[in-house]
Amino acid sequence: MKILVCLKQVPHQDARLDVNGDGTWIREEGIKFEINSYDTFALEEALRVKDAGEAEVVVASIGPERVSQALRTALGMGADRAVHLKDDALAGSDALGIAQALAAIAREEQPDLVFTGLMSDDGNASSVPPMLAHLLDMPHATAVVKTEHKDAGLRIERELEGGALELVEIDLPCLIAVQSGINQVRYASLKGIMAAKKKPIAAKTAADLGVAELVGAAAAKVAIEKIEPPPKGDRAEILEGTTDEIVAGLLGKIKELGLL
Amino acid sequence: MSLLVVAEIQQGAIREASYELLAFAARIGGEVSSLVIGDAALASEFAKRGGGSTWSASDAALANYNVDGYAAAILAAVEASGADTVLISNTPVGWDVAPRVAAALDAGFVSDAFDVQDGRYRRRVFNGKLDAWVRSSAAKTVVSVQPGALPAIDNQNEGGGEVKELALELPKLRARFLETRESDAGGVDLSQADVIVSGGRGVGDPEKFPEVIQPLAEALGGAMGASRPVVDAGWLPHEYQVGSSGQVVTPKLYIAIGISGAIQHLVGMKGSNYIIAINKDPDAPIFEVAQLGVVGDLFEIVPALTSAVTAARG
Ligand SMILES: Cc1cc2nc3c(=O)[nH]c(=O)nc-3n(C[C@H](O)[C@H](O)[C@H](O)COP(=O)(O)OP(=O)(O)OC[C@H]3O[C@@H](n4cnc5c(N)ncnc54)[C@H](O)[C@@H]3O)c2cc1C
Ligand SMILES: Nc1ncnc2c1ncn2[C@@H]1O[C@H](COP(=O)(O)O)[C@@H](O)[C@H]1O
Repeated sequence: MKILVCLKQVPHQDARLDVNGDGTWIREEGIKFEINSYDTFALEEALRVKDAGEAEVVVASIGPERVSQALRTALGMGADRAVHLKDDALAGSDALGIAQALAAIAREEQPDLVFTGLMSDDGNASSVPPMLAHLLDMPHATAVVKTEHKDAGLRIERELEGGALELVEIDLPCLIAVQSGINQVRYASLKGIMAAKKKPIAAKTAADLGVAELVGAAAAKVAIEKIEPPPKGDRAEILEGTTDEIVAGLLGKIKELGLL
Repeated sequence: MSLLVVAEIQQGAIREASYELLAFAARIGGEVSSLVIGDAALASEFAKRGGGSTWSASDAALANYNVDGYAAAILAAVEASGADTVLISNTPVGWDVAPRVAAALDAGFVSDAFDVQDGRYRRRVFNGKLDAWVRSSAAKTVVSVQPGALPAIDNQNEGGGEVKELALELPKLRARFLETRESDAGGVDLSQADVIVSGGRGVGDPEKFPEVIQPLAEALGGAMGASRPVVDAGWLPHEYQVGSSGQVVTPKLYIAIGISGAIQHLVGMKGSNYIIAINKDPDAPIFEVAQLGVVGDLFEIVPALTSAVTAARG
């Protein structure tokens, strides 16, 4: 079995976010990046299939040079190989452009199973996985919280609202977009990190993959015109002062609400 | 503009969110037609209540959501209606099928929009910390709309549009629905609590819940809750989770501690009578729904508050 894991590097969840010069994205200089939280669960799910039997796990990521760090981490956790699509021509791609590029990688790799995250923590789009599945002519399922191999396919649980679940039987090859919490994600061991140094990261360009016309700002059908802080609603009254003063303010309110 | 509204059936009725799509369509402006998948009677109901000319895809194989069948039905309705803009709710059905339909149409896709002005769609990014205005330049656009974004329109007395059965040849269904399972509350029913004290990822590690969060909840005679990452990490069982995929709560007082205020958490608690937020980040979106806030370190504020509450109780 061959498994492809699509992994995105995103600004660290605690990074300070400042809008960039032209107001269309955040300033990326000087902030830390990490693997998209949902994608760590996707990678773990793939590694569990490998642990349980025979599987090759290939991780693929699109992004600038810094992404090689994320790929090294994934290799350290146990992935076998990595593909890094690194090309300035990708700048300004929309979700369909990213999906086209990932589809080209998948066509070279011919995986039986594709794991992605449900959503990226920066764009919050939840768009790439179903698009990629369409381009690969595979069935897909999103918000998956359990996978189990059964006959020629998988039996999966999808999360619905309020904690309800939907049980689905899905044929292979297929794409599974993983919801957070599906598993407990491992850390890269020291041994794993050492071994990762010898594992290959194949660098690709859009031209190598034959997708130069399909990616980047020129091909994008959707563009961000402006990014800004959300409108200030009826913002909370903020208590200021020493801890004692703040606590007195909170206590006063709780009494006023009749809860003490 | 020619709009196709994809309504959704949940537990034998049209979802409220589908009527919100009609409001979203009205804001965009243009000719509205609709699609109801899985139930011809509900298709006529939607047509009568504002859906306009409504397509019904009532093949028995569409009685439950499955991606291949639903994608085929939506694509057939886009073709039949000639719509250039497709609206669908960002629910477990919508987020699963909409991007796939967009790719099949080579359309622009706007995910989880909650507003539209002059052809630009507004959506939250970075888990609620920023907003993006996006525009589609494609001939066709698919938009998934955040449930609750706009008040529903329900044109009960409009007379209504005609209902037509959609001619549809279903493909092989490669993902097959087996069953749904309701959540198991596991004995923790937050809906009865007057006070809920919830901790988020900012609480940092599992030991801090019994040390810092639980004592405040107990001092106030309330219950403890949590955001999703806390449950994902296994710090607390799923029953404690508040939000779109956890419990929806409306206590007299909700105290959010180390919780940023992502939309999926807010939908679970914004109906609370009074909300206090404690967070070290002054820009955390939780302060936009709270009435009272403290910008500071929870490990300093919360234990001091717990002592003060305990002392006040005597
Ligand atoms: C389909 C779907 C369903 C979801 N369902 C839910 C759901 O039901 N419930 C839910 O909660 N989420 C849900 N989520 C996840 C949601 O998008 C957010 O990721 C999540 O709510 C974030 O949790 P958080 O606020 O605890 O963590 P973060 O966003 O990481 O916020 C942590 C906060 O703690 C603050 N902090 C850190 N240290 C301190 C300190 N010492 N003192 C004070 N403050 C501190 C930080 O400033 C930050 O604001 C869902 C997501 C999806 C896609
Ligand atoms: N640049 C990228 N490189 C690799 N995978 C990606 C990239 N962007 C998105 N993905 C995958 O698609 C999922 C959903 O992302 P999105 O549609 O951007 O919210 C992510 O969790 C990743 O698995």
